[in-house]
Amino acid sequence: MSAPRTTEAAAFRVAEQLVGKEPWEVFGERIRRYEIHLNGPQVEMTRGPISLEGYDIRLFRPRDGTLGVGGQASNDFSPEGVRAAVQDAERSARYASFPTTRLNLPSGHGATGGIVEVLDRGLWEYPMDSLEGYVAALRAAFEGRTSATLSFGSVRATLVETSICNSMGLRTGYGHTTVELEVGVRASTGPEGPLPGEYWLNDTDRRLRPAELPDRVAEWCRYAEDVRRGGPAPTGSLPVILPPDVLSGILPIVCAGRLTGPARLRGVTVQPGTKVASELVTLHDDGRVAWAPMSSPVDDEGVPQRRRVLIDHGAVSEILYDTLHAGAFETHSTGSGFRGISSGFRTWYRFLQPPTVSPSTISLTAGDGGRSEELVEAAHEGLWVQEIGWSSPDPVSGAFGGEIRLGYRIRNGKIAEPVRGGTVGGIAFAPEGSSSLMNQVEAVGSVSSFSEPVFAPPILVRSLAVGGEH
Amino acid sequence: MGELSDAEGDLYRAVARLAQRTPFMEVLAEAATGLSVRYNGRSTSFQCPPRIRGAVFRAWTGTGWSEVSISGLDRTSLRFAEGAIERALVHRPARDAPPGPSSTARIDQVTPTAHPVRDFAEEEMLALARDVHSWTSGVPDIHETEVQISWRVDERLYLNSAAARCSQAITRVRGIVGHMAMESGQASSDRLVQGGVGGREMLDRLTAEGVHRTAENARALLKAKEPPSGRQNVLLSPSVTGYLAHESFGHGAEADQFVRDRSYLRPLLGQVVGPELLTIVDNGAFPGAWSQIYCDDEGHPAQRTVLVDRGRFVGALHDRATAAALGATPTGNTRRSDVFSRSFVRMTNTYVEPGDSTFEELVKEAHDGVLLESGVGGIEDPQGGQVQVKARMGHRIENGKITDLVSSMALSGKVLEFLRAIRGVSGPQDFQLDTGSCGKGRTDILPNSAGGPYLLSSAVVGRA
Repeated sequence: MSAPRTTEAAAFRVAEQLVGKEPWEVFGERIRRYEIHLNGPQVEMTRGPISLEGYDIRLFRPRDGTLGVGGQASNDFSPEGVRAAVQDAERSARYASFPTTRLNLPSGHGATGGIVEVLDRGLWEYPMDSLEGYVAALRAAFEGRTSATLSFGSVRATLVETSICNSMGLRTGYGHTTVELEVGVRASTGPEGPLPGEYWLNDTDRRLRPAELPDRVAEWCRYAEDVRRGGPAPTGSLPVILPPDVLSGILPIVCAGRLTGPARLRGVTVQPGTKVASELVTLHDDGRVAWAPMSSPVDDEGVPQRRRVLIDHGAVSEILYDTLHAGAFETHSTGSGFRGISSGFRTWYRFLQPPTVSPSTISLTAGDGGRSEELVEAAHEGLWVQEIGWSSPDPVSGAFGGEIRLGYRIRNGKIAEPVRGGTVGGIAFAPEGSSSLMNQVEAVGSVSSFSEPVFAPPILVRSLAVGGEH
Repeated sequence: MGELSDAEGDLYRAVARLAQRTPFMEVLAEAATGLSVRYNGRSTSFQCPPRIRGAVFRAWTGTGWSEVSISGLDRTSLRFAEGAIERALVHRPARDAPPGPSSTARIDQVTPTAHPVRDFAEEEMLALARDVHSWTSGVPDIHETEVQISWRVDERLYLNSAAARCSQAITRVRGIVGHMAMESGQASSDRLVQGGVGGREMLDRLTAEGVHRTAENARALLKAKEPPSGRQNVLLSPSVTGYLAHESFGHGAEADQFVRDRSYLRPLLGQVVGPELLTIVDNGAFPGAWSQIYCDDEGHPAQRTVLVDRGRFVGALHDRATAAALGATPTGNTRRSDVFSRSFVRMTNTYVEPGDSTFEELVKEAHDGVLLESGVGGIEDPQGGQVQVKARMGHRIENGKITDLVSSMALSGKVLEFLRAIRGVSGPQDFQLDTGSCGKGRTDILPNSAGGPYLLSSAVVGRA
């Protein structure tokens, strides 16, 4: 991993023109992006290089016992362009107010964040060749399959030099790569009827992993076939097993809604020590997981990322802050100020949006529930929900749920027939004694896997509301 | 055109030079201006759209498209794009024209309004936000009210080697008021969103009565009962009807899904899929609607496209490639979320046309079931023909009357079964369009609108 060269890094070029505007912060990105789109196994379109270089200036102005924060993103590096961006930011800061007078921007002295693996060197050096090699491996993994085929797909690689500096002397930067994979797998033959089944995958990684494709494609094809065969869901309150693929759609948004500085400012956080989950639940926020999309040496304000305990054996432990919210509560940033967060995921360009407070990778500590088979045995009768269409948690109320895109009945302690359709949902976090998802965790599996942005084992929930045909 | 006019000559010349090496060349440039304020009583923040000007060049190589995007319209950036396209054409020289009709349109449009927004500045916007914020006072248990007011002018300039020149500046204005109620650690919320394409007059739709009602909803949801589970009669409010039209028929009728053989609808073209009282339309030319455009990003004029005509599936949405592949004509639905993203066939304003029932008649007809209100979103399944729609709240329907308030729920079902079970659509008095956004997959987010009147059918619902 290499830091951007000082003379060229986007943020540093702008910083040279901000003398006398203190306090300020500049976040810059130089982005190259490459894409290959597939229609079936055929290449539909190749795109790139898509070049985007820009910066966001934030100015901080004390005003009537508050802080006026103004920002402006731009891709104009000329003196006139930077001046115009500064004027916009100054104007916003004049009318804005944030309830603190304490601003503690990182200085860059002390901890630097160290090395976190977020850059695929092969991809960085040979982006289009690497992408073409990956697509060839993807197509090869589908060859010879008759029951399920590749219906469409895209692989998009983003190569970014991030640079951050501020008026406290911070000058930092790092390079990173992100790979977005979207794949539709269609299973279309069988006695269950004319409609095909589709398994639709959206995945983000820091690197290309072509060697894993044969196993992954086999799994996706199996899921697509099960979607096609899936029957209706039952109705009632049932024991439900949720794997990381489902938890990844719920936990980040709910944690951001209740366990962050903005939530504390709104008065909706739960006091540290308060029980909100089963004893079996310990959640960490870990921005240093190797190759995780939300990992980086520093957050987007330049504060080093660390591992933090959010929920410790069911009790709230730490709250996440950026520099602004830390100032409001006279505490320190936890390195949780991120740009480009949308519905729990990250956009490929970040400088266009101001920072918000967000978890990075949420890690659920493995328990003693054993392998998946043992969790299923413990559930005895119920439902394994493999995929929810869109669980869309409400960050305030914690209500989540949606259509079961793929599930499996659990009968007599074994995985039985696939399920497609119907709904599953509930409340994610609620005070102790309430029937929330987290309060009702009865077992936590022992084998974790990664599903962006969550690293977790499957969990067995005592009872969730399932709406089905019968 | 304001933000792009100084670059038009250079863009035109770049297209002309590159057109000597390919049968077809086009460029789309964009810039945006605007301002938004967010105020919640404790803090105030402003945000302007990025000062980003950029362009995407697209050349036909004989077997496919070569695209290069640049951020910046200065001559250095344009030379970089030209060079990259030239290199692509050296490797893949094209002789034949690309499939599908090339636009030759000449369009020059700016959102008409009696009350322009360009001078709607920080002080005045903040004063309005504070005013709206005060409308909630008096509603107990409201823990927080947040007001967002925004305007944005999106300018796009499209030029191609077939002499098309399409310039449009679309102004979108929106107000959002979110309420959070809280009691004993439990929280609930509701929000009001009003806006459209136009000027400041779009904010007149943000009324004290509407804001107050939303606050009362948030408060009432603290004590709402759980929604019913399982199959039942469902009466969809206009916003939920819109999500259903968008997710069920809209995505499935995007013809790139036909070409990919990814749409359950393709074999049904020309067939009856619902009752006579059902008509579904996508209309990019709908005046004032959130996703109104004058032309798409291939230079084809926006238009009204009927997808379902009195129960019969009659049309799909096309770009030039799908039109060529399927023997249709482009429908003005080619859209890029920005010049750094590829184009897809996308919806604009998608809705169910009004019928002739009243809300009261539909409640009576349902007899027992649930009313789904305040749509939150949905997700499509174009391959399998399923649909999910989520509502923030609802009411039970018992013995032909509206009864208990119930909390958020999801609707799930097979689209064709849902359409065939439609028993009533309310009249124009209930018709509404929302101001939302839509992605294709997780990315490529665009302004999008959906809506309709009340619609009665049956489906599986459950807590969500």
